[in-house]
Order: sequence, then structure tokens, then C-alpha cells
Amino acid sequence: MITTEALTRGYDDGARGRVRVLDGVSLQVAAGEFLAVVGRSGSGKSTLLHVLGGLDSGFTGEVTVAGTRLSGLGDRALAKFRNESVGFVFQSFHLIQGLSALENVALPAAFAANDADEARAKEALARVGLGEKTERLPSQLSGGERQRVAIARSLFNKPRVLLCDEPTGNLDLQTADEVIGLFKSLNQDGLTIIAVTHEDRLRAAASRVLMLNDGRLAPHPDPLPRGGEGDR
Amino acid sequence: MRPNSLIKLVRLQLRRDRRGAFSSTFGIAMGIASLVFFVALGLGVGRVVREKIFPVDSRLVDVVPSQLAIGLFGGGKLTQDAVDRLAAIPGVERAYRKMSVRVPAVSLYDGDFFGRRLRMGIEVIAVGVDPDFVRADVKLGDFSDPGPGKPIPTIVSSRLLEIYNKTFAPARGLPQLSAQMLVGFSFPVDFNRSYVAVVAPGPVTSTQLQVAGLSERGVLAAATVPLDVAIRMNQAANVDAETFTGVSLQAASPSEVPTIVAAVKEMGLRVDDQDRRMSENAGAAVAITTSAMALLSALICLLAAFNIAHALSAAVRARERELGVMRAVGASQRDIFGLVLAEAVVLGVGGGVAGTLTALLAALGVDMLSARVLPQFPFKPDTFFLVPPWLPLLGVGLGVLAAVGGAWLPARRAAQVDPARVLAGQG
Ligand SMILES: Nc1ncnc2c1ncn2[C@@H]1O[C@H](COP(=O)(O)OP(=O)(O)OP(=O)(O)O)[C@@H](O)[C@H]1O
Ligand SMILES: [Mg+2]
Repeated sequence: MITTEALTRGYDDGARGRVRVLDGVSLQVAAGEFLAVVGRSGSGKSTLLHVLGGLDSGFTGEVTVAGTRLSGLGDRALAKFRNESVGFVFQSFHLIQGLSALENVALPAAFAANDADEARAKEALARVGLGEKTERLPSQLSGGERQRVAIARSLFNKPRVLLCDEPTGNLDLQTADEVIGLFKSLNQDGLTIIAVTHEDRLRAAASRVLMLNDGRLAPHPDPLPRGGEGDR
Repeated sequence: MRPNSLIKLVRLQLRRDRRGAFSSTFGIAMGIASLVFFVALGLGVGRVVREKIFPVDSRLVDVVPSQLAIGLFGGGKLTQDAVDRLAAIPGVERAYRKMSVRVPAVSLYDGDFFGRRLRMGIEVIAVGVDPDFVRADVKLGDFSDPGPGKPIPTIVSSRLLEIYNKTFAPARGLPQLSAQMLVGFSFPVDFNRSYVAVVAPGPVTSTQLQVAGLSERGVLAAATVPLDVAIRMNQAANVDAETFTGVSLQAASPSEVPTIVAAVKEMGLRVDDQDRRMSENAGAAVAITTSAMALLSALICLLAAFNIAHALSAAVRARERELGVMRAVGASQRDIFGLVLAEAVVLGVGGGVAGTLTALLAALGVDMLSARVLPQFPFKPDTFFLVPPWLPLLGVGLGVLAAVGGAWLPARRAAQVDPARVLAGQG
């Protein structure tokens, strides 16, 4: 589902010259995997997700996601890829104020070539358990509900890969658990998920955990037992 | 990007920033209003100058004899021979001859003048013209020489009527006259008689002049009569009945006029372009004033564009995350650019329409005020404005142009927002 080879992403950092945030990352993710990526702050986790999701094209190396080779794609092709093949979930939800839950979920349709419609948005909202709150504005929803709307939005165009950047970072324990449960269930339905996280319980929900360190990915030295939320 | 989604997102943004949208629209409306107003005023005043004050027929060339007899043929005189040669100039469609009645004449009016008792004597100048010259405006008879002793058909200058109605009549308590009232009106005239000039020995011919119509082509301060009448009078008075006072050449098209003028000068004759020049000068003055005001208005539009640029820059900065989200769910840079420009187009159309309507209302107000408050004066028009169909379109178009111009850079900046930078992290 996802392959990277010699993926390198650097930034010019004034006095220190060029800093390689990702330095020859090789990654293989099979369809249906639930991968957690951990690493200290600033290690490049978000950068990796942005590259995989076609939001950042300033990398070198080979990246193929859901059958699309991202290396060298232009802006419009990348936009189409983001629209159709991947879904993003962010730490701070990023819903558009002033649009209802339903309209937020249907936002990808605005930039789509196909004519996806409201029914699809309702379906996606129902999938995250918010079928009753379609007309609420983001300001009228709780944090957990907002994140579920954001997840519904990422599901709207039926992507093959979900890319989540600290999806539970702004949620309290209980709502975080609900969201993690939702990810598990989506994963069981066949969706490939990559989640960047500091959260042990999200990490425990994953089928594999990798650690980003010094620009490289390595297996996590201290894997938690699978499904171990209750074990601590 | 889908049109209905675009509309939805544009509406959302305008709704969220009502104050900003209003101020942007207002700025454009100001600029467009003054632009449309002054252009309509310039066009309107230009039309009054062209059509009422100096109604120059752009196809007519007025030829007069040269004062100095230096021409090769006939010494610069307008003989029939010269007229034939003028008529033969390429591009000349018709040549209309004119001959003054070369004896003085007076009219002593004593009687009922449209319901008012009038007793007045004035000097009369009569000019004979080829009947076809004014044929289109003849309302009574066929404008030919009726023969001795019969009332002579006369064309009155419509400009003269305007001056009479607006200044002469009010000053003397005389009635206002219309063209219909005048047609058929007769007044006595004595040829070879004058209150001021020395008169040649000879009989005084008393007859009547009867108004047969009003025409822009009528000689301004004279009675315009059939050419044959002038010839007959001059023969009877034993004065020059051979050479013409002037010839009006009608060009096939206005573009032929310069070559015709050149050919006329070649023949040693003069072209009387006083009216044309006055008209051109007045027209130029109006055009310059209009241009200056239009330029000023364009400046206001420019300011409005800067205002929009400023407002949109701030709005784009405030919306960076939102724009990043759109990119994440599939917007291309072009989509974002188009979204911001579309917002500007709405502001531009709004400002353009509001400005144009304001200008048209202001013009209506000025015309109404002029009708009520300004005193009558010659050639006072019903409207000082001319609004050709392209003017409102121009107003709206320029409004959009100003808005889009102002939005261009902010839209580019919006398109270049790096989604990776604005989306990660909390906040
Ligand atoms: N646009 C940029 N220009 C320069 N440096 C950048 C840019 N974006 C990211 N970086 C740098 O790249 C490194 C990795 O950033 P990234 O956001 O991927 O870290 P992260 O692992 O997601 O951290 P956190 O856990 O705090 O979210 C950081 O040192 C950051 O300063
Ligand atoms: Mg991060």
C-alpha cells in the first residue's frame, strides 16, 4: 500500500546549513496495516505524514502511496491524489467554522471531479456515530465530536489510507478512547492507517510501531502488547 | 473546483467578514459612481454642444469666395462655373448654392403676434439657397419661387428659434413659440429699404415672407429663401445676380471631407469652418474636462483596489489554516487562487452595480434640479447626461477589474500558503 525508498527531506536551517529531517527513510506498509509512528518532538513525524499524504513535495527519493508514485508529481496531480486516495486527521481537527458538520464532511466534494453528494457525507457521519448531529456547527460540538467530524471528512472520498497526526492529542482520556476505538474499527474494515502519536494507548492499538530517530525509521525497542490499553 | 461549492465557500467568507466586504464594496462603488457620473456628464454635454449649440453636419463643407482675387479660375469668385467645378471634386455628392439678397430689407411688423400686440421694425437679411438644401424640413408648399407679389416661402433657423424662446421672448414679454406655431406665419418685408444703411436708388419691393419650416440648415440670423427668389431680387435691383455668396458641398462620407477641403483651397476658394472649429474646440474642452474627471475617478478606483488588497491580505493571513485544510482535502493552488479571486469578483460586481446605480440616480437628481432651479437659457437641455448601453457595463467591468486587481497578490499569497506548515501542531 505504501512504499518509500531513500526518502529524504531536508530544510535549510540558517547557521547549521541543510538539516535532513528525513534521511533515507525506507518504509513498507501493507494494505490493512495499522502503523503507529513515535519519536521525540521535532524528529520529523509530521514531515513524514505530509510527504506520504502529498502535502509536501520537497523530498527526494521514491514514494508510492495507494498505487500513485508521488515523486515528481505536479500540484494539480497531488491535489487529486489528496482528494481521492488519502485522508488526513489532525491534532486540532481543523474544521471550518461557519460550515455545519455535514458541510465540513462534504468539503472534499468541492474539489472533486466526481459528483459526490450529501448522502455520502451523511453516511460518513453515521460511520463515526454522529448521524444525529449533521446540522451542528463546529462551535456546537465537543472536542471528541469535532475530531469525529474531522475523521468523517477524511473518510468522505473513501480513501485507502488514513494519515493521522496526533489525532488524540487534544482529547481527554475518555474521548481519546472512543476515537481510538473508531480507528480500530475502521482498520478492521480494511482501511490502512498510519498514526503519529505520543499516546501509549493509540500505540497499543496499532499492529506495528516504528520509531523515527535521527531521520530514520526503526522498529520500536519497547513494543506494547497488542490491544494493551487495559494493561497499564 | 465545482461552481456550486465555489459559491458556497465565497458566500461563507463574505458572510463571516461583513464589515470588510462592505468597506471593500463601498470603496469600489465610490470610484465607479464618480467615473460613470462624469463620463455620462461629459458625453451628455458633448452631445448638447454637437447637436444643439453647434450642430455641425460632419458631411458639409461650406465654401466661400476668397477675399483676395488670386485664384486661377474666376479670381476666387463663386460663379456657376466655379460651382460646377466644385461639384465635380471627387467625393462631393451635392453642391448647394447660396446667394444673399444683395439689397437691404426691413420688416415693419404692426399687429397681432400670437396673441400679443406687437409693433416692431427690424432689419432683415435674406439668403437664397438651393431648395434641396432644406427640402427635408419644408412643411408648407414646395419651397420654390412663387413669382413676384406672392408671399415668399422662408425657412427659419431652429437655433434662432431657440435663442428667441430662451432670451429674446422672456426679456420682451413675447410669447414662447413652437415650430408648429411658426409654420404658415407671415410677416411683411420691404426690399431695398433700410433703417441704417444707404440704399441704392430704385423701387422698394413690398412683399410677405411666409415661414415654410424650421431647419438646422437655415442661416442663423437670416431668412432663408429659395435661391431663385434671391436671383430675381438681385436682378430687379440691378446688383450682382451672377456670383454666389457661398456653396455647401455635401461629401459622400465624413472621411472625404479633408480631401475635399484641400481641393477647394487648391481652387483658390476659402472654406468657412468657423462653426466646425468652434464645435471642435468646445468638444475638445468637454473631452478634456471629462478625461480629467474620469482620471480622478480612476484614481479612486485604484485606491479602492489598494483597500481590497489590504483587506484581503489580512483575511488571507487569518485564514491560513482553513486554506491549508482545503489543500489537504484536495484543493490545488489554482483552486485557492480562484477562491480568493472569486470573492473579489463578487465584491467588484457589487461595488460596480452599486456605483453605477448611484451615478445614474445622481444624474437623474441633477437633471431634476436643473429643470426646477436653473433659469432657462438657450440650448438648455432636458438632460445633461448621456448613458450609452456600454457605460453601465463599463462601470461594472471596471469595478470587477479594480477588485480583481487588488485581490491578485493576496490570492497568490493564499495559493502559496504551505499546508504542511499551518496544519501540524495544536492551536
Ligand atoms: N518549513 C520548515 N522549515 C524549516 N524547518 C522545518 C519546517 N518544517 C519542519 N521543520 C523542522 O523539521 C523538523 C521536524 O518537524 P516535524 O514537524 O516533522 O516534527 P514532529 O516530529 O512532528 O514534532 P512534534 O512531535 O513536535 O509534532 C523540526 O526540527 C522542524 O523545526
Ligand atoms: Mg508533529
